[in-house]
Amino acid sequence: MSPVRTPGAVMSLYRLMLSTQVTRARVVGLSALGLVAVVVGFAIGHAGLADPLRQGTRFINGFGLSLLVPVATLVFASASLGDPNEDGTLVYLWLRPVSRAKIVAAAALASFSVTWPIVTIPLVISAALTGGGRTLVIGTVAGVTISMVAYVGLFVALGLRVKRALVWGLLYIFVWEGFVATGNNTASRLAVRTYGRSVLSHITGETFRVTDISSPWRWLVPVAVALAGLAYATRRLTRQDVA
Amino acid sequence: MTVPAGGPTARILDRGYRPYDGPRTGARGAMRSLIRHSVQRVLGLKRNVWTKVLPFLTIFFAYVPAIVFVGVAVLLKDRFATEGVNINDVLPSYGEYYLFIWAAIQVFAAFCAPEVLCTDRRTGMLGLYLASPLRRDTYLVAKAAAVGLVLSIVTLGPPLFMLIARAIAGVGPDGVGGFVAVLWRVVVAGAIAAVLPVAMTLAIASTTTRRAAASAAFILISLGSIVVTEALINAGGSKTLFVFDLPYLPIELVGRLFGEPAGKIGSSSATVPTSSLVIAYLVITVGCALFVRTRYQRIQVTR
Amino acid sequence: MIEVSGVSKWFGDLVAVSDVSFEVGPGVTALLGPNGAGKSTVLRMLCGLTGPARGTVRILGGDPRRDLALTRQIGLVPQQEVTFETLTAFEFVRLAAVLHGLDGPDEAATAALGVVELDPADPRPTSTYSKGMRQRVKVAQAIVHQPQVIVLDEPLTGLDPRQRLHMITLFQRLGEEGRCVIVSSHVLDEVERFGSRVLVMVQGRLAAEGDFHAIRELMDDRPHRVRVRSDRPRALATALLESEAAVAVRLEGTDTVIVDTDQVSRFRRSVAAAAQRSDAHLWEVTPLDDDLESVFRYLVGR
Repeated sequence: MSPVRTPGAVMSLYRLMLSTQVTRARVVGLSALGLVAVVVGFAIGHAGLADPLRQGTRFINGFGLSLLVPVATLVFASASLGDPNEDGTLVYLWLRPVSRAKIVAAAALASFSVTWPIVTIPLVISAALTGGGRTLVIGTVAGVTISMVAYVGLFVALGLRVKRALVWGLLYIFVWEGFVATGNNTASRLAVRTYGRSVLSHITGETFRVTDISSPWRWLVPVAVALAGLAYATRRLTRQDVA
Repeated sequence: MTVPAGGPTARILDRGYRPYDGPRTGARGAMRSLIRHSVQRVLGLKRNVWTKVLPFLTIFFAYVPAIVFVGVAVLLKDRFATEGVNINDVLPSYGEYYLFIWAAIQVFAAFCAPEVLCTDRRTGMLGLYLASPLRRDTYLVAKAAAVGLVLSIVTLGPPLFMLIARAIAGVGPDGVGGFVAVLWRVVVAGAIAAVLPVAMTLAIASTTTRRAAASAAFILISLGSIVVTEALINAGGSKTLFVFDLPYLPIELVGRLFGEPAGKIGSSSATVPTSSLVIAYLVITVGCALFVRTRYQRIQVTR
Repeated sequence: MIEVSGVSKWFGDLVAVSDVSFEVGPGVTALLGPNGAGKSTVLRMLCGLTGPARGTVRILGGDPRRDLALTRQIGLVPQQEVTFETLTAFEFVRLAAVLHGLDGPDEAATAALGVVELDPADPRPTSTYSKGMRQRVKVAQAIVHQPQVIVLDEPLTGLDPRQRLHMITLFQRLGEEGRCVIVSSHVLDEVERFGSRVLVMVQGRLAAEGDFHAIRELMDDRPHRVRVRSDRPRALATALLESEAAVAVRLEGTDTVIVDTDQVSRFRRSVAAAAQRSDAHLWEVTPLDDDLESVFRYLVGR
């Protein structure tokens, strides 16, 4: 049977996943955290510190890259295919002549589209308010974006693979990236957070006491992680039982 | 049921459905059942093996340091003694022990209350519970007790184990008086370390029917409070802001209870008066409790 | 149009479907069975939602699990109630039309919703819909692309009697158009109205297939039961026993004989003669277990 052309499928899927992922509770909850970041950035900027760049970088790393970025991305990305898989509505996408790669791509794009502004805008405002200057703002955008690219790939796949993806994702963020990967250099290279932090560190010139990743790997590895995650999700979607 | 004497004999052994005429245990019995069932649910008891992984792994990691420290105390006390060193000065104190297990406390708290509160609302069981002698307040008290009991497995159990094991090994407090003096502190410390996270996690779980979302929110708020208060204090803010460091506030209070110097256990920023810590602790705990109660008074249970 | 050959499916230690083979052509076929019989598993395999552990499933000659383009010819009404809650009925069905690559998805969605008597202009999201309305939305999305094979898992659930009748008429019409319609249902008296072809599954195995009247005829280990009303029931009962067309008789009331016979054809030929011999008037001769429910009960209960 000849393949069916489905123009507009990706856009339709993208719009659908945007509408299903964006719930008021998620947006309000994560925006509130973004607001906290803005308040703290303001406080740092008005504290009259000798080195606002350093304090601002540490805050963006500790609150933004280590907490807000991974958790926000987890909340949306794991739900993009995870929610339909769990509640049975995935059948309405799966039983269509649309390639699985398109479905996964639409899910990832939708997750990134909704997470990026919710996280980046308040962190950029916070970075600007700290007085760290343009360097910190650029570093924030770059660090957040490259981290988020990797997290989206990982968590879209996670949402499809396991039932309670949010729980497993939190354990990964909290236990693996928060504890285990801070133990030694080798383990830290297996944490997405390390690469985002390296980008931030490279742009702002501030160093952290853990592993720094050299260029071009700090850019390439997160992208490779994302592609690997999405490739796995595509394969999984093709082969799994549905509904 | 049998026929009167003199006629053909017969018995009915199974009359099928009959109303229950036995004793009824009322609200107390209902609360006891609910506590028992909720504890079983959180620990994954009577459910498949995967539901047991997270709770038992957390309990394991909470007890491992205690077991190690007790082992070291038992095996090496004589060696340290010959060098003139008191083993209890080498090992972490009861207050310091909470630094080893605060992660386990956070993980347990993050996943406990959502499991027992969110599921009831999502599945509609709340309506069934409230059709029993339970009322909304007694329901919440039972749930809080269940979560508190589970959390005390990691907040009270390991230090208690350490105390008893050390006492048996002869490296514990001197005499009955000394033992009791430490014992009541261990029990109160266990309660302090449990109550605030219980109130927080119940408050967060009351806002959503999705367990994972509640867990994520708890971790975000918990870890976020650490980063934010540290950043604000480093930016020149008052050290009193430490009271908003939600995971470390009870830990610091525990340290004060065991006579540790201010800031040694909780955080270097925790050089605030004990009274401030106590007031903040109570305000946050009571505030969370009132929030949960208000939410549940307003919930529409059935459609 | 559908060929299932030696198909088995197990989940760990649980054998959900065991060595099932059948063929289904155009028209309406009912898939019956008690809970846990494996009906939903079979339907899922027909749509390619899960693959058989053993055996083959072919839809229009293709493998539904591997051939993505084959989904163009399959429409499924799944059992679960949940739809995309944020979408309106029109958006939901239109999405299906777009994903199927239809030209004019708006028109196709409007037409499909019209068939199930839903308003395409309704602005409410499907999360606000009643059970019956959601069911109709699901049927609309299953037929919007005019598939050759339509699989419906409990499609009558939640519908009121008038809607059920309308849906049954729709299934019959789709079957008459040459499409292959497979319906799984527990509502036996309405399944009878789809048509007489059934597939009966019990404990993962195919217990019987074909016209249920013919299935009943083949069940010679269960005597047929017939109600005969007459003005002289006793005499008639005696005559029927003497003719050896009945294996058992039971009198009910003042005018009724319940006859068990294992030779339906002979009974049919004998009853008039027996009435004549006993000088009885026949008021009614009605088979009591020639309906689908009785067939189902016998097959499931053996």
